[in-house]
Parts: sequence; C-alpha cells; structure tokens
Amino acid sequence: MTITRRDVLLGATATATAALMPLAARAQTSEIVIGLTYPMSGANAQIGVDAQRAFETAVDIINKDLDLDLPLAKGEGLPGLGGAKIRLVFADHQGDPQKGRAEAERLITQEKVCAVLGTYQSAVAVTVSQTCERYQIPFMSADNSSPSLHRRGLKYYFRASPHDEMFSAAMFDFLDALKKKGTKIETVALFHEDTIFGTDSANAQLKLAAERGYKVAADIKYRANSPSLSAEVQQLKAANADVLMPSSYTTDGILLIKTMGELGYKPNAIVAQAAGFSEKAFYDAVGDKVAGVITRGSFSLDLAAKRPMVGKINDMFKAKSGKDLNDNTSREFMSMIIMADAINRAKSTDGEKIRDALVATEMPGEQTIMPWKRVKFDEMGQNNDADPVLLQYVGGKFVTISPAQAAVAEPIWPMK
Amino acid sequence: MTAETIIQSLASGLLMGLLYGLIAVGLALIFGLMDVVNFAHGEFLMIAMYATFFLFAFFAIDPLLAAPLVAAALFVFGALIYLLIVRFAMRAKANAGMVQIFATFGLAIVMRGLAQLFFTPDYRSVTHSWLGGKTVSVAGIFLPEPQLVGALVSIAAFAGLYFFINRTDFGRALEATREDPGAVALVGIDKNRVFALGWGLGAALVGLSGAIMAVFFYIYPDVGASFALIAYVTVALGGFGSVFGAFAGGIVVGLVEATTALVLPPSLKSVGIYAVYLLVVFIRPRGLFGSM
Repeated sequence: MTITRRDVLLGATATATAALMPLAARAQTSEIVIGLTYPMSGANAQIGVDAQRAFETAVDIINKDLDLDLPLAKGEGLPGLGGAKIRLVFADHQGDPQKGRAEAERLITQEKVCAVLGTYQSAVAVTVSQTCERYQIPFMSADNSSPSLHRRGLKYYFRASPHDEMFSAAMFDFLDALKKKGTKIETVALFHEDTIFGTDSANAQLKLAAERGYKVAADIKYRANSPSLSAEVQQLKAANADVLMPSSYTTDGILLIKTMGELGYKPNAIVAQAAGFSEKAFYDAVGDKVAGVITRGSFSLDLAAKRPMVGKINDMFKAKSGKDLNDNTSREFMSMIIMADAINRAKSTDGEKIRDALVATEMPGEQTIMPWKRVKFDEMGQNNDADPVLLQYVGGKFVTISPAQAAVAEPIWPMK
Repeated sequence: MTAETIIQSLASGLLMGLLYGLIAVGLALIFGLMDVVNFAHGEFLMIAMYATFFLFAFFAIDPLLAAPLVAAALFVFGALIYLLIVRFAMRAKANAGMVQIFATFGLAIVMRGLAQLFFTPDYRSVTHSWLGGKTVSVAGIFLPEPQLVGALVSIAAFAGLYFFINRTDFGRALEATREDPGAVALVGIDKNRVFALGWGLGAALVGLSGAIMAVFFYIYPDVGASFALIAYVTVALGGFGSVFGAFAGGIVVGLVEATTALVLPPSLKSVGIYAVYLLVVFIRPRGLFGSM
C-alpha cells in the first residue's frame, strides 16, 4: 500500500478531530471552569496565594449580584450562558517553565478548563501560552510584563495590561519631564535578574536610554535567588549613577536593599520595574530604607477618590487577604473580569468562540479599576491603551506621581 | 577596577565564606560520623531562621541573644530527628543508602510544606536588631556587622567543635564510633546516643548560622535550598567527612564566588565555584582535606 500525501492529511485531520472532540462537547454547561497557574510553593509562593485571593474576589463579584460598575457585577453568573457560575481551578507551577507546561496541559485535558490565566513569571508564561495555543484554549497573561510574550504570533494569547516597554517608556517620560524642570539626571544603572522578565526589561531600558540620551553607567545582570548580592552592589556603588533601575522579584529586592545598606550605597533615586518593589512583604522587610522609592505600576489606590468602586473592591480583597490591592493583584483581578466578559459574550465555552469574543473586546476604562483608557486587543493580543503610572512610596504608602493626568502629588527627588 | 573594589570583594567573599563554612560544618560532621548525607540540612537552616524571627517578633529578643537559644533548640531537634527517623532508616536491610537519602529528602519536603502551611509563604525579615544594617568601615572597605559577627561566631564555633572532638570524652566516643560503630558497643558506648549527639551538634551549628543569617537575609519556607546546595559543594570540595575541610571549603567557596563576580558578569558567579569544585574532584577526588 502506498501512502499518499492526501492520506497523511486525512489521517492528521482525523487525529486532530479526535483530539478536539472533548473540547466541542464542553459547550453548554452550567459551570464555567477557568484554570489558573501560579507559583503556589517555592520562592514566589506568596504571589500565588495573593493571586488566588484576587481571582476569588473577581469571581465573587461575577457570581454574586452586586451593584458595581464592572461588567457582570449585576446579576448572578454569566447571563450569556444562562447564569452559569465560574469555578476556578488553581495549579502550582513553582516558577518552573516545565512544570508550567505540564500543569497547563493537566488543566486543559483533565480539568477541562475553557481558559487559562497566569502566571506571574514571564518565563513560565512562555510555555503555558504555547500549550494553550496547541489546544486552542485562550490564555491571558494577567501579570506578565515581558514584551516578547505577545510578539510570537500566537492566536490565543492576550494581555490586557502594559508590558515592560510601555512601563519603561513611562519611566523615561518621567525622567525626561524632571530633566526639563532642571533636575540633573544623566546616568542610569540597570540591575536585573537573569530570567526573561529581567532580561526583557533591561533590553527595553537599554534601548530607551540610548534613544533619549542617558548614559548607562552599569548594566548588571544577576542570578535570581542568589545567596549574596555584595559583589553586584559594589559594582552599582562604583558606577554611582543618578538613577538605579532594578528589575527584581521580592526576594532579590529585599536582599538588594539590605546589601546596599551594609555596603554604604545610597542612590539618589530608585525607579523600579515593580515586581518585588510593589509587594507588601518587601516594604515590611525594608520599608524604612526605601522611603521615596519609585516604582512603575498599573494600579493606584488614589483612583478610589475618582472612582469609588475601586475602594469597594479593594475592601473586598482586603477582607480576604489582609492586604491592599497592588500592581499584581489588581491586574489579576481585572484579567478575570475581562476573560469572564468575553466568555459571556461568546455565549459558549468553546475556545475559538471565546477567542473571537476576546478579539472583539472593547471595554471603557471607567468600567475597570485601572487608570487605563480602555481594553482593546491589537492583532498580537496586546492592549495598547493600558496606561502605566509611576508610584512613589511616601509615608508608608504609594502615591501616584506620573503621568500628569493621573498624578496626585509632586515627586520627591532625590529620594534621600 | 580599583584596588579598593578588589579588597572589598575579597573581604565580602571571606565573610560570606566563613558563614558558608559554618553552615557546611554540621553537614560534614554528620556525614563523617555515620556516612549519612542530611538532605534536610537546608530546612534545618530554614527552621533556625524562623525560630530566630519568631523570638524577635513575639518576644523582641535580638537575634544575637537568640542565637544560643536557637542552637540549643536545634540541638534537641536534630537529636530527635535521628532518634525518630534516621535511626529507623539506617536499619533498612536492602538499599540502605537509598532509604537514608529518601528519609532525609522526604523530611526536607515535609518540613518545607509544614513551614508553608503554618508560617505562610510570605517573606519575613528581622527589621530591627543590634547588628542589622550596621557597618564597620575601614579605609573605605565596608564590613557589614552581621556578617562580621557571623564570621567570628563561625571561627569560635569551629574552634569549640575542634576542642570538643579532640579533647573531651564525648568527642573521643564520637571519633571511636566513627571509626568502628560495631566495636564501640564492646566498651559500653551506646552507638545511638553518640549518633544522636552528632545529629544534635550538626543541627546546633546550622542553628547558629540561621540565627546570624536572619539579620541580613529574608526568610521563607524555601530559603534553605540555595544555601544547602552550596553546603553540599563545600563539603565535597573540602573533603567528605572532614570537619576542618568543610570549614576551609566554605572559605574557598566564598572567595571564589567573590572573585568570579569581579571578572565575569555577576550572573555567572556560581560558575567559578563549580569550576573549582570540578577541578578539585578531578585532581583529588576525596576533596581538599578528605581522608577516605
């Protein structure tokens, strides 16, 4: 028997159809299952635990009848699917891209989820989103900020929040504005961890620094979760740049600041790429040493003054977690609302239909808890209307200092 | 690169190395005594750090004062772990080595899990202490006080251990049991008591390191992992079973790490450690001071 190309194609189609059968059978259920994959153990376990509370807060709002100006808040469940309620399934990827891949596979094939959200670490988002693509299940980066993620031509990848090029541009806009007012800012020092998050962030910052005429006095790539950062801090100290720009997760952020104190290094200003620098644990550990630190963010509690809903949702989250919403938890919360809204409009749990609904998303900024213009995805699945803000840690809390239209206070510069 | 940078790097490396040595000595002691590798060594360190943190948080006891308390508590803990777990694992008839590995490895996972359950995965930190954030500056070289005191404690603890092993009856019993666990029974030495003492001592030493480290490091359930790996390399580098080797190995690791970070990008600084380790293993498989 000869095997023709046509037979192979037919065979492949049959196999693919067989593999996709359970997906089709998933439509029309009374329960919508959404998968989440986070570091629930290991170095960043607290992020996973906090993320769980944020997603649960969003699901409470969707499943219960509440009077908030968020999509799906009024009325119980998803009206587009006959009031079906959302159930969340959490998977622990331990910050490991390979475990992330396996867990995503398990969520899709065993738990039969119709969408996956995650993952905190961008390195894990790479493998999880590829797995979702293969099964044609929409994946939303809730809190990953690496720009390279949405540039891989994936059809099922979405990100409502800004990426590090947008964040970094906001930082340099801010530096430019200060410079215009006469502040001396000529050199920057980059300090970044060695996974995709730190690397992408540093690449974006290197490019922007060159374009806007800042000299990079030091560009230090360090190993994440290192037992000691004294060699690194010495190099930062020797470079003595006008601005230190770290891209670090919480553990490294704490060690960085402690080591800086021990080695007698106090920069004029720190402008951080969030991550560890937006976490409560970080400020509990070293808050007194970083008064005046600036971090990028996508969320600010200041917004509650203009949009009371933000305060109410923060209270709901705080009741669960004991913490205020921050850069990470706010983005996690919003991505669940956006995904649920798309599933509701798709009127189906079919991956492709949800994808189409996500593509058609057009959510005005006022219906979010973020300082964003709106939520609308481009052909890469990236929302380009998610305006970042810069926050400064003053008097034990964050105040918005940039951009001008969102700012509630003037920046304190230098920080020391 | 200025002379100052080089001296500062070497000084930081030496201080860190003495601490690595102190962490590794306990591991080497237990291995030397009974050929068991304690895969939960990093978790012992983690428990010590949490104990220090809680003494600070609830009773405002400074980590410096807490150190002897924590060491004593860890002594009891280590001895109990031997009596309740390791003793039985050593009785395995088949694959004894594997059973011991799985027993301590399993213990590590259980300890990590329990820590996450009871203490939550949040990062803790001793925010105020007598030593924390203070630095001695000599001619432009910064010597952080926590690490400086850690180095002194490390030297003192090692000297004490050396004295204990070589000059006391218990030490001689320890040495004899290590030489021939069967024969010591004939002269009335209870092997289990000696082994329990060894585990207690090993744990107490790592307890000391944990208390010192709590001042300048963050604390969370997985904190032991990165230090344990260095401790295993340190022990293998210094020579399996040699307490002195572990101590010297720690200093070598600290210095190599600091110099590598000077000449290579800092993200590659552990490469230096493993390169030296491989070199030693090739040239002298028993390690620098190993006697096997």
